[in-house]
Amino acid sequence: MLIFTARRIAYTIPIMLGVSLVCFALVHISPGDPLVSILPPDASVELQEQLMAIYGFDRSYPEQFFRWLGRALQGDLGNSIATGRPVTSEVMNAVGNTLILAVTATIIGFTLGGLFGFVAGFFRDSWIDKLASTLAVVGVSVPHYWLGMVLVIIFSVELGWFPATGAGPGGSSQWAWDWEHMSHLVLPAVTMSVIPMGIVARTVRALVADILQQEFVTGLRAKGLLDRGVLAHVIKNAAPTALAVMGLQLGYLLGGSILIETVFSWPGTGFLLGQAIFQRDLPLLQGTILVLAMFFVILNLVVDVVQSALDPRLQRG
Amino acid sequence: MAVAQTDIETLATADKPRGYWSGVGRRFLKDKVAVAAGCVAGGLILMAIFAPWVAPQDPFDGTMIRRLSPIGTEGYPLGADELGRDMLSRLIYGARLSLFMGVTPVLIAFVIGSAIGIAAGYAGGWVNSITMRVLDVFYAFPSVLLAIAISGALGAGILNGLLSLTVVFIPPIARVAESVTTAVRKLEYIEAARASGASAFTIVRAHVLGNVLGPIFVYATSLISVSMILAAGLSFLGLGVSPPNPEWGLMLNTLRNAIYVQPWLAALPGVMIFLTSISFNMLSDGLRSAMDIKQ
Amino acid sequence: MSDAILSAHNLVKHFNAGGWGAARKVVRAVDDVSFDVAPGETLGVVGESGCGKSTTARLLTHLLPSDRGEVRFRGRVAGTEVPLKEFRRHVQMVFQDSYASLNPRMTMLDAVAFGPTVHGVDQPEARRRAGALLERVGLDPARFGPRYPHEISGGQRQRVNIARALAFDPDVIVLDEAVSALDKSVEAQVLNLLTELRRERGLTYIFISHDLNVVRHISDRVMVMYLGEVVEIGPTADLYTAPRHPYTEALLAAMPSLDPDRRTMEAPLQGDPPNPIDPPPGCRFHTRCARAFGPCPGTAPVPALVGRRHLASCHLNTVKEAAE
Repeated sequence: MLIFTARRIAYTIPIMLGVSLVCFALVHISPGDPLVSILPPDASVELQEQLMAIYGFDRSYPEQFFRWLGRALQGDLGNSIATGRPVTSEVMNAVGNTLILAVTATIIGFTLGGLFGFVAGFFRDSWIDKLASTLAVVGVSVPHYWLGMVLVIIFSVELGWFPATGAGPGGSSQWAWDWEHMSHLVLPAVTMSVIPMGIVARTVRALVADILQQEFVTGLRAKGLLDRGVLAHVIKNAAPTALAVMGLQLGYLLGGSILIETVFSWPGTGFLLGQAIFQRDLPLLQGTILVLAMFFVILNLVVDVVQSALDPRLQRG
Repeated sequence: MAVAQTDIETLATADKPRGYWSGVGRRFLKDKVAVAAGCVAGGLILMAIFAPWVAPQDPFDGTMIRRLSPIGTEGYPLGADELGRDMLSRLIYGARLSLFMGVTPVLIAFVIGSAIGIAAGYAGGWVNSITMRVLDVFYAFPSVLLAIAISGALGAGILNGLLSLTVVFIPPIARVAESVTTAVRKLEYIEAARASGASAFTIVRAHVLGNVLGPIFVYATSLISVSMILAAGLSFLGLGVSPPNPEWGLMLNTLRNAIYVQPWLAALPGVMIFLTSISFNMLSDGLRSAMDIKQ
Repeated sequence: MSDAILSAHNLVKHFNAGGWGAARKVVRAVDDVSFDVAPGETLGVVGESGCGKSTTARLLTHLLPSDRGEVRFRGRVAGTEVPLKEFRRHVQMVFQDSYASLNPRMTMLDAVAFGPTVHGVDQPEARRRAGALLERVGLDPARFGPRYPHEISGGQRQRVNIARALAFDPDVIVLDEAVSALDKSVEAQVLNLLTELRRERGLTYIFISHDLNVVRHISDRVMVMYLGEVVEIGPTADLYTAPRHPYTEALLAAMPSLDPDRRTMEAPLQGDPPNPIDPPPGCRFHTRCARAFGPCPGTAPVPALVGRRHLASCHLNTVKEAAE
């Protein structure tokens, strides 16, 4: 187990380096001078050179990369060009909000998706199964940003049940677990939960159907064990896979929240990214993407390790 | 990850050439859902090609008088957008850019990804390991994030959008291509071909391609649905296509402010994205089961 | 032997079985294997599965690079003195799995014609030759030429594979369990075809099989392998009547006999072969050998001449000679 964990971590380090390299490259593939957005249009050549030196843009790429990486490891991702505030604090504020949204969405998506999939797998080829399969296809095919708009139209514009945008009353970005805030969470979380729902339903359905066909379940049934006993076994056996899917989906939601956050003006990382893109604030863009990608890599690592702890067979290969 | 792992052994060995394609066709035609999806997808493509003949009005021509006319307005069956342009015509014309932006990256990624994957899979050894580790780096980004990161850095524009989406789809296609090729490479007919003294290039051309391109292609078609959603999503964010071009994601973006005035009108472009995405998804599923590729 | 058509010199092939650095594990699939094959003869290679027979075949045909040692064709080193492409025209191979060794998307005629086109024969000529070869191996080219592998039987596919090997007009054919997967009656037909072809074209065969009856039937000489090493090699008649290695004895005793009185119920070889990742020291067979004695666990025996063209690696032989 320890060896497996160590090997898995050792494997992750080059990936993280690669990820940071890609994030570093983002600023340099962007057309035009990186300073263009902060330089006054009539800036002198001296000022330009001075700023280049301050930001380190006059050094070689490898040197710039390692200096940038070194600072990033100490938690310094530079300053936002638009606001002048440190990128790290901006991103950390936003990450909290995104996590609230993504975790809620994961819980909703897994509860409903798991339920659908379970029922569908248990009553295979019944109308419930067909309905669940259809929902699964719809779930992966629907443009979720559009679904968000439709939900806003129905529940905010037409019915007026939930607020359409923001994370709290008066555009406050401080989160609290009260109804005022939670009512803002409902629509974006439900929208986002559709992303994993279809995949979860499909996975759980296949798992349940597969396990039900296995000999030990047939054996349990033959022994006259109640369906509840069978159920417990099914759940126990399906747990590691379900957990893995859940972890990965949470990761995807962290990254995929961008469009949904934009629709709902949810003050998370996606919204921050949207702003960074709109204002061509490259340090902010780079920092946000780096943090999100690292989250995803670490989440993958944790999922793998936990999953293999639950199911030691996975440690091989 | 989000990529469907295909059962490689079946892919590589279960092919039955004589009458194989006619068998695929027969099985596909029996699948009513897939045929219906194929018809919808085909219809959308025809609509895009013949847009000037199908569309009742000029998609760029608007007057502020008709601004945000509701659905069902005389002469404007689907209403008019925020600049008074005919919604129906814009949706029809929108198919051109939207399909182009969604399908092209997958096609380019199919060519590049297959080349990388087949080369890595056939070479094996350290070439394979290094290639796959590099691809793993791109895998470490959720696809939406990577697409937005790259086109966010490059800035708006059709070419930048295409480029970023292509980069997103190369790694998954290369990975599938690599695993299918690795499975095929281990078969004895490849060894026999090597024993004949043929060069690696000749073997890949004569013996590998025919046996791996089918499964890779089916996998690539399953990405079109994702690509459509992502491409429209980029335009929705203000990246990708820029106004006044009709494109569904961009239309969704510009009409977003109108949801309090004409809510259902604002949602129309999304219906088109959804329709395209789901029909390509079902088409790909049908193709997969018709070709007997296990998921 | 300098007149050998094909010879192996100290071939070594180790496979990685995981682990890094000091913990690295290797499978010693082929360990220091040397032998000669004379023109026109058939050398049978026998041994339990996992003894390195197939790896040896792939090293001989240069489908696998060897870690050490060399293969010589007519005295010249394959891969350097004889360019690989030329070597492959002379040395061909037929594989065990008749289905897997044919491209599922190629017709039989194209499969046979592929090789010659690689060597510069133009398409019509290659197809004409392929048709003639199909005919020679007993398949009507008009009927079987346009077919795909899944449409014909295992025996027919193996005939196609033989035709494909013949398309180069080779001198040597390595047959790796080429008839093992076939039904007994079909096997006999294919063996007869091989015998005819050998006579007709002066072919040299290296015939690898786990079936000692078949090997006895077709081979002039037989080589016995155990855990990646050659333990005995000699003329078929001598080796079958008077084996000089306990492992060969055990294999022969385990051979299903057609004579019911000679059938034994007890297995002369107990257990599975030891793990080739960590072969026993000394003589590799001593852990399963009924006649192991003093030097066996400590020193590895060296091949010793025990008869005309008959070599065996066993301490019993050297000790006996010393006593005489």
